[in-house]
Amino acid sequence: MKKKKILLKILAVVLIVIIGTALLAFREFYRKPKDLTNLKPKFTVSAIDFIKEFGTDDKKADAKYLDKVIEVNGVVKEMKKDENGYYTIVLGDTSAMSSVICSMDSLHNDGLQNIARGNNLSIKGVCTGYNAEEFLGSDVILNRAVINNKN
Amino acid sequence: MKNILVASFLFLSMSALHAQDKYFTKEGKINFNATSPSSPEKVEGINKSVICVEDIKTGNIQFAAIMKAFEFERSLMQEHFNENYVESDKYPKAEFKGMIANNSDVNYTKDGSYPVTVKGKLSIHGETKDVETNGTLTVKNGKIAAVATFDVALADYKVSIPSLVADKVAKVAKISVDCLLEPLKN
Repeated sequence: MKKKKILLKILAVVLIVIIGTALLAFREFYRKPKDLTNLKPKFTVSAIDFIKEFGTDDKKADAKYLDKVIEVNGVVKEMKKDENGYYTIVLGDTSAMSSVICSMDSLHNDGLQNIARGNNLSIKGVCTGYNAEEFLGSDVILNRAVINNKN
Repeated sequence: MKNILVASFLFLSMSALHAQDKYFTKEGKINFNATSPSSPEKVEGINKSVICVEDIKTGNIQFAAIMKAFEFERSLMQEHFNENYVESDKYPKAEFKGMIANNSDVNYTKDGSYPVTVKGKLSIHGETKDVETNGTLTVKNGKIAAVATFDVALADYKVSIPSLVADKVAKVAKISVDCLLEPLKN
Protein backbone atom coordinates (compact mmCIF):
# COMPACT_ATOMS: atom_id res chain seq x y z
CA MET A 1 0.00 0.00 0.00
CA LYS A 2 2.77 2.41 0.96
CA LYS A 3 4.77 1.44 -2.12
CA LYS A 4 1.83 2.24 -4.33
CA LYS A 5 1.53 5.70 -2.78
CA ILE A 6 5.19 6.46 -3.41
CA LEU A 7 4.90 5.23 -6.98
CA LEU A 8 1.90 7.46 -7.55
CA LYS A 9 3.80 10.41 -6.15
CA ILE A 10 6.74 9.76 -8.46
CA LEU A 11 4.39 9.42 -11.40
CA ALA A 12 2.74 12.73 -10.54
CA VAL A 13 6.10 14.50 -10.36
CA VAL A 14 7.22 13.01 -13.68
CA LEU A 15 3.95 14.06 -15.31
CA ILE A 16 4.27 17.62 -14.01
CA VAL A 17 7.85 17.84 -15.29
CA ILE A 18 6.85 16.54 -18.74
CA ILE A 19 3.87 18.88 -19.04
CA GLY A 20 5.94 21.80 -17.75
CA THR A 21 8.73 21.17 -20.25
CA ALA A 22 6.27 20.80 -23.12
CA LEU A 23 4.58 24.03 -22.11
CA LEU A 24 7.89 25.89 -21.93
CA ALA A 25 9.00 24.48 -25.29
CA PHE A 26 5.66 25.45 -26.79
CA ARG A 27 5.92 28.98 -25.43
CA GLU A 28 9.51 29.32 -26.63
CA PHE A 29 8.56 28.09 -30.08
CA TYR A 30 5.65 30.50 -30.45
CA ARG A 31 7.35 33.41 -28.67
CA LYS A 32 6.41 36.68 -30.30
CA PRO A 33 8.83 39.57 -30.65
CA LYS A 34 8.66 41.85 -27.63
CA ASP A 35 6.38 44.85 -27.71
CA LEU A 36 8.64 47.78 -26.90
CA THR A 37 5.90 50.02 -25.49
CA ASN A 38 6.53 49.01 -21.89
CA LEU A 39 10.22 48.17 -22.13
CA LYS A 40 12.85 50.39 -20.56
CA PRO A 41 15.48 51.60 -23.04
CA LYS A 42 19.05 50.51 -22.43
CA PHE A 43 20.37 53.84 -23.70
CA THR A 44 18.89 57.27 -24.37
CA VAL A 45 20.54 59.40 -27.04
CA SER A 46 19.85 62.32 -29.34
CA ALA A 47 19.52 61.40 -33.02
CA ILE A 48 22.47 63.59 -33.97
CA ASP A 49 24.81 62.11 -31.32
CA PHE A 50 23.65 58.60 -32.25
CA ILE A 51 24.63 59.10 -35.92
CA LYS A 52 27.90 60.74 -34.87
CA GLU A 53 28.82 57.81 -32.64
CA PHE A 54 28.38 55.31 -35.48
CA GLY A 55 30.23 57.63 -37.87
CA THR A 56 33.24 57.89 -35.54
CA ASP A 57 33.65 54.19 -34.82
CA ASP A 58 30.96 51.87 -36.13
CA LYS A 59 32.51 48.73 -34.61
CA LYS A 60 32.43 50.25 -31.15
CA ALA A 61 28.90 51.58 -31.66
CA ASP A 62 27.79 48.16 -32.97
CA ALA A 63 29.05 46.48 -29.81
CA LYS A 64 27.31 49.07 -27.64
CA TYR A 65 23.93 49.37 -29.36
CA LEU A 66 23.11 46.40 -31.61
CA ASP A 67 20.09 44.31 -30.58
CA LYS A 68 19.32 46.69 -27.70
CA VAL A 69 16.32 48.89 -27.07
CA ILE A 70 17.37 52.51 -27.62
CA GLU A 71 15.43 55.69 -26.97
CA VAL A 72 16.26 58.28 -29.61
CA ASN A 73 15.22 61.93 -29.33
CA GLY A 74 15.25 64.20 -32.32
CA VAL A 75 13.56 66.26 -34.99
CA VAL A 76 11.42 64.52 -37.61
CA LYS A 77 12.91 64.87 -41.09
CA GLU A 78 10.27 62.79 -42.77
CA MET A 79 7.25 60.62 -42.05
CA LYS A 80 6.39 58.04 -44.67
CA LYS A 81 3.60 55.55 -45.06
CA ASP A 82 3.74 52.95 -47.80
CA GLU A 83 0.89 51.23 -49.64
CA ASN A 84 0.93 48.35 -47.13
CA GLY A 85 0.43 50.72 -44.21
CA TYR A 86 3.99 50.49 -42.89
CA TYR A 87 5.27 53.70 -41.33
CA THR A 88 8.85 54.93 -41.34
CA ILE A 89 9.90 57.94 -39.31
CA VAL A 90 13.24 59.56 -40.14
CA LEU A 91 14.95 61.52 -37.36
CA GLY A 92 18.00 63.77 -37.51
CA ASP A 93 19.42 67.05 -38.72
CA THR A 94 16.97 68.33 -41.37
CA SER A 95 19.82 69.87 -43.39
CA ALA A 96 21.96 66.71 -43.51
CA MET A 97 21.59 63.46 -45.45
CA SER A 98 22.39 61.14 -42.52
CA SER A 99 19.52 60.01 -40.32
CA VAL A 100 18.12 57.60 -37.80
CA ILE A 101 15.58 55.54 -39.74
CA CYS A 102 12.83 54.14 -37.55
CA SER A 103 10.78 51.33 -39.02
CA MET A 104 7.65 51.54 -36.87
CA ASP A 105 5.94 48.56 -35.23
CA SER A 106 2.76 48.09 -37.27
CA LEU A 107 0.84 47.08 -34.12
CA HIS A 108 1.13 50.68 -32.94
CA ASN A 109 0.21 52.70 -36.01
CA ASP A 110 -2.38 54.80 -34.14
CA GLY A 111 -1.56 58.50 -34.21
CA LEU A 112 1.44 58.15 -36.51
CA GLN A 113 -0.42 59.82 -39.39
CA ASN A 114 -0.36 63.13 -37.49
CA ILE A 115 3.42 63.26 -37.24
CA ALA A 116 5.03 65.82 -39.52
CA ARG A 117 8.42 67.17 -40.47
CA GLY A 118 9.83 69.44 -37.79
CA ASN A 119 8.11 67.71 -34.84
CA ASN A 120 10.22 66.86 -31.84
CA LEU A 121 9.88 63.21 -31.04
CA SER A 122 11.09 60.49 -28.74
CA ILE A 123 11.15 57.01 -30.29
CA LYS A 124 12.07 53.62 -28.83
CA GLY A 125 13.34 50.88 -31.12
CA VAL A 126 15.73 47.96 -31.43
CA CYS A 127 18.98 49.08 -33.05
CA THR A 128 19.69 46.67 -35.92
CA GLY A 129 22.52 48.26 -37.84
CA TYR A 130 24.29 51.06 -39.62
CA ASN A 131 24.65 51.72 -43.30
CA ALA A 132 27.15 54.22 -44.72
CA GLU A 133 26.54 55.32 -48.28
CA GLU A 134 28.49 57.72 -50.45
CA PHE A 135 25.58 59.72 -51.92
CA LEU A 136 22.84 59.08 -49.41
CA GLY A 137 24.58 59.73 -46.12
CA SER A 138 24.94 57.30 -43.22
CA ASP A 139 21.99 55.89 -41.39
CA VAL A 140 21.33 54.09 -38.16
CA ILE A 141 18.39 51.69 -38.36
CA LEU A 142 15.82 51.10 -35.61
CA ASN A 143 13.22 48.32 -35.90
CA ARG A 144 9.89 47.58 -34.21
CA ALA A 145 9.95 51.21 -33.15
CA VAL A 146 7.23 52.86 -31.07
CA ILE A 147 6.60 56.44 -29.97
CA ASN A 148 7.92 56.90 -26.48
CA ASN A 149 5.31 58.36 -24.16
CA LYS A 150 7.16 59.81 -21.26
CA ASN A 151 4.23 60.61 -19.01
CA MET B 1 23.57 84.92 -80.93
CA LYS B 2 20.66 82.57 -81.37
CA ASN B 3 23.04 79.62 -81.32
CA ILE B 4 24.56 80.75 -78.06
CA LEU B 5 21.12 81.08 -76.55
CA VAL B 6 20.13 77.61 -77.71
CA ALA B 7 23.43 76.20 -76.50
CA SER B 8 23.15 77.82 -73.10
CA PHE B 9 19.54 76.69 -72.81
CA LEU B 10 20.60 73.15 -73.65
CA PHE B 11 23.42 73.34 -71.17
CA LEU B 12 21.12 74.61 -68.44
CA SER B 13 18.49 71.96 -69.06
CA MET B 14 21.17 69.28 -69.12
CA SER B 15 22.57 70.35 -65.77
CA ALA B 16 19.05 70.46 -64.39
CA LEU B 17 18.60 66.92 -65.65
CA HIS B 18 21.88 65.91 -64.10
CA ALA B 19 20.64 66.70 -60.60
CA GLN B 20 17.74 64.34 -61.23
CA ASP B 21 19.90 61.45 -62.39
CA LYS B 22 19.82 59.65 -59.08
CA TYR B 23 16.74 58.18 -57.51
CA PHE B 24 16.75 56.60 -54.08
CA THR B 25 14.88 55.28 -51.08
CA LYS B 26 15.82 54.35 -47.55
CA GLU B 27 12.50 52.64 -46.83
CA GLY B 28 12.51 49.92 -49.49
CA LYS B 29 10.96 46.54 -48.70
CA ILE B 30 12.46 43.11 -49.21
CA ASN B 31 10.49 40.02 -48.35
CA PHE B 32 12.36 36.78 -47.69
CA ASN B 33 10.29 33.62 -47.94
CA ALA B 34 11.82 30.21 -47.34
CA THR B 35 8.66 28.31 -46.48
CA SER B 36 8.97 24.78 -47.78
CA PRO B 37 5.81 23.30 -49.38
CA SER B 38 5.47 20.78 -46.54
CA SER B 39 5.88 23.29 -43.74
CA PRO B 40 2.82 24.04 -41.60
CA GLU B 41 4.13 27.50 -40.68
CA LYS B 42 5.45 30.42 -42.63
CA VAL B 43 9.20 30.93 -42.71
CA GLU B 44 9.08 34.52 -43.80
CA GLY B 45 10.76 37.78 -42.91
CA ILE B 46 10.38 41.35 -44.06
CA ASN B 47 12.93 44.14 -44.15
CA LYS B 48 11.37 47.59 -44.24
CA SER B 49 14.52 49.70 -44.32
CA VAL B 50 16.20 48.66 -47.54
CA ILE B 51 18.42 51.30 -49.10
CA CYS B 52 18.34 51.55 -52.88
CA VAL B 53 19.89 53.98 -55.39
CA GLU B 54 19.47 54.03 -59.11
CA ASP B 55 21.28 56.21 -61.60
CA ILE B 56 18.74 56.46 -64.40
CA LYS B 57 21.31 57.72 -66.89
CA THR B 58 23.61 54.72 -66.61
CA GLY B 59 21.07 52.22 -65.31
CA ASN B 60 23.30 51.38 -62.36
CA ILE B 61 21.30 50.14 -59.41
CA GLN B 62 22.32 49.19 -55.88
CA PHE B 63 20.56 47.72 -52.88
CA ALA B 64 21.69 47.32 -49.30
CA ALA B 65 19.78 45.45 -46.59
CA ILE B 66 20.78 45.18 -42.93
CA MET B 67 20.30 41.50 -42.04
CA LYS B 68 19.12 42.13 -38.47
CA ALA B 69 16.37 44.37 -39.83
CA PHE B 70 14.50 41.34 -41.22
CA GLU B 71 11.44 41.00 -39.00
CA PHE B 72 9.92 37.57 -38.47
CA GLU B 73 6.59 36.79 -36.91
CA ARG B 74 8.26 34.67 -34.26
CA SER B 75 11.34 35.59 -32.25
CA LEU B 76 12.87 32.12 -32.32
CA MET B 77 12.80 32.11 -36.10
CA GLN B 78 14.41 35.54 -36.26
CA GLU B 79 17.11 34.48 -33.80
CA HIS B 80 17.87 31.33 -35.78
CA PHE B 81 17.96 33.33 -39.00
CA ASN B 82 20.48 35.81 -37.55
CA GLU B 83 22.59 33.50 -35.41
CA ASN B 84 22.71 30.21 -37.30
CA TYR B 85 21.83 30.84 -40.92
CA VAL B 86 23.05 34.21 -42.16
CA GLU B 87 25.37 34.94 -39.18
CA SER B 88 24.43 38.62 -39.01
CA ASP B 89 27.13 39.54 -36.51
CA LYS B 90 29.80 38.43 -38.97
CA TYR B 91 28.00 39.49 -42.14
CA PRO B 92 25.71 42.37 -41.19
CA LYS B 93 24.64 43.38 -44.68
CA ALA B 94 23.34 41.92 -47.91
CA GLU B 95 24.18 43.91 -50.99
CA PHE B 96 23.34 43.95 -54.65
CA LYS B 97 25.32 45.94 -57.18
CA GLY B 98 24.29 45.81 -60.77
CA MET B 99 22.57 47.46 -63.66
CA ILE B 100 19.42 47.55 -65.71
CA ALA B 101 20.52 45.72 -68.84
CA ASN B 102 17.84 47.31 -71.01
CA ASN B 103 17.91 50.79 -69.43
CA SER B 104 17.43 52.48 -72.82
CA ASP B 105 13.98 50.85 -73.10
CA VAL B 106 12.77 52.78 -70.06
CA ASN B 107 11.38 56.26 -70.67
CA TYR B 108 11.88 57.88 -67.28
CA THR B 109 10.07 61.02 -68.39
CA LYS B 110 6.84 59.23 -69.29
CA ASP B 111 4.53 57.55 -66.80
CA GLY B 112 4.21 53.87 -67.48
CA SER B 113 5.29 50.34 -66.60
CA TYR B 114 8.49 49.02 -68.12
CA PRO B 115 9.71 45.42 -67.96
CA VAL B 116 13.43 45.31 -67.19
CA THR B 117 16.24 42.81 -66.84
CA VAL B 118 18.56 43.39 -63.91
CA LYS B 119 22.06 41.90 -63.86
CA GLY B 120 24.64 42.13 -61.16
CA LYS B 121 26.36 40.72 -58.13
CA LEU B 122 24.51 39.70 -55.00
CA SER B 123 26.40 39.35 -51.72
CA ILE B 124 24.86 37.47 -48.80
CA HIS B 125 26.61 35.74 -45.92
CA GLY B 126 30.03 36.77 -47.28
CA GLU B 127 29.43 35.04 -50.62
CA THR B 128 29.06 36.91 -53.90
CA LYS B 129 27.25 35.46 -56.89
CA ASP B 130 26.15 36.73 -60.30
CA VAL B 131 22.41 37.06 -60.55
CA GLU B 132 20.04 38.02 -63.31
CA THR B 133 16.34 38.62 -62.88
CA ASN B 134 13.34 40.21 -64.51
CA GLY B 135 11.53 43.04 -62.84
CA THR B 136 9.34 46.03 -63.48
CA LEU B 137 10.03 49.74 -63.23
CA THR B 138 6.89 51.82 -62.94
CA VAL B 139 7.33 55.53 -63.51
CA LYS B 140 4.56 57.58 -61.91
CA ASN B 141 4.39 61.20 -60.77
CA GLY B 142 8.16 61.63 -60.84
CA LYS B 143 8.77 58.51 -58.73
CA ILE B 144 9.97 55.06 -59.78
CA ALA B 145 8.59 51.87 -58.30
CA ALA B 146 11.16 49.08 -58.66
CA VAL B 147 9.65 45.62 -58.21
CA ALA B 148 11.25 42.21 -58.73
CA THR B 149 10.94 38.66 -57.47
CA PHE B 150 13.69 36.10 -57.79
CA ASP B 151 14.92 32.85 -56.26
CA VAL B 152 18.04 32.40 -54.19
CA ALA B 153 19.45 28.93 -53.54
CA LEU B 154 20.63 29.05 -49.92
CA ALA B 155 23.49 26.63 -50.63
CA ASP B 156 24.95 29.10 -53.16
CA TYR B 157 25.59 31.47 -50.28
CA LYS B 158 26.82 28.72 -47.95
CA VAL B 159 23.75 29.00 -45.74
CA SER B 160 23.23 25.52 -44.34
CA ILE B 161 19.94 24.37 -42.89
CA PRO B 162 20.15 21.77 -40.09
CA SER B 163 18.39 18.50 -40.92
CA LEU B 164 16.07 19.01 -37.93
CA VAL B 165 14.24 21.83 -39.70
CA ALA B 166 15.02 20.80 -43.27
CA ASP B 167 11.38 19.91 -43.90
CA LYS B 168 10.26 23.42 -42.90
CA VAL B 169 12.91 25.60 -44.51
CA ALA B 170 13.01 25.53 -48.29
CA LYS B 171 16.37 25.12 -50.04
CA VAL B 172 15.45 27.92 -52.39
CA ALA B 173 14.19 31.19 -50.91
CA LYS B 174 11.92 33.57 -52.76
CA ILE B 175 13.08 37.18 -52.53
CA SER B 176 10.62 39.95 -53.37
CA VAL B 177 11.87 43.49 -53.74
CA ASP B 178 9.58 46.52 -53.64
CA CYS B 179 11.21 49.96 -53.60
CA LEU B 180 9.64 53.35 -54.33
CA LEU B 181 12.47 55.60 -55.50
CA GLU B 182 12.37 59.38 -55.29
CA PRO B 183 14.64 61.89 -57.00
CA LEU B 184 17.75 62.74 -55.00
CA LYS B 185 17.95 66.51 -54.58
CA ASN B 186 21.45 67.84 -54.33
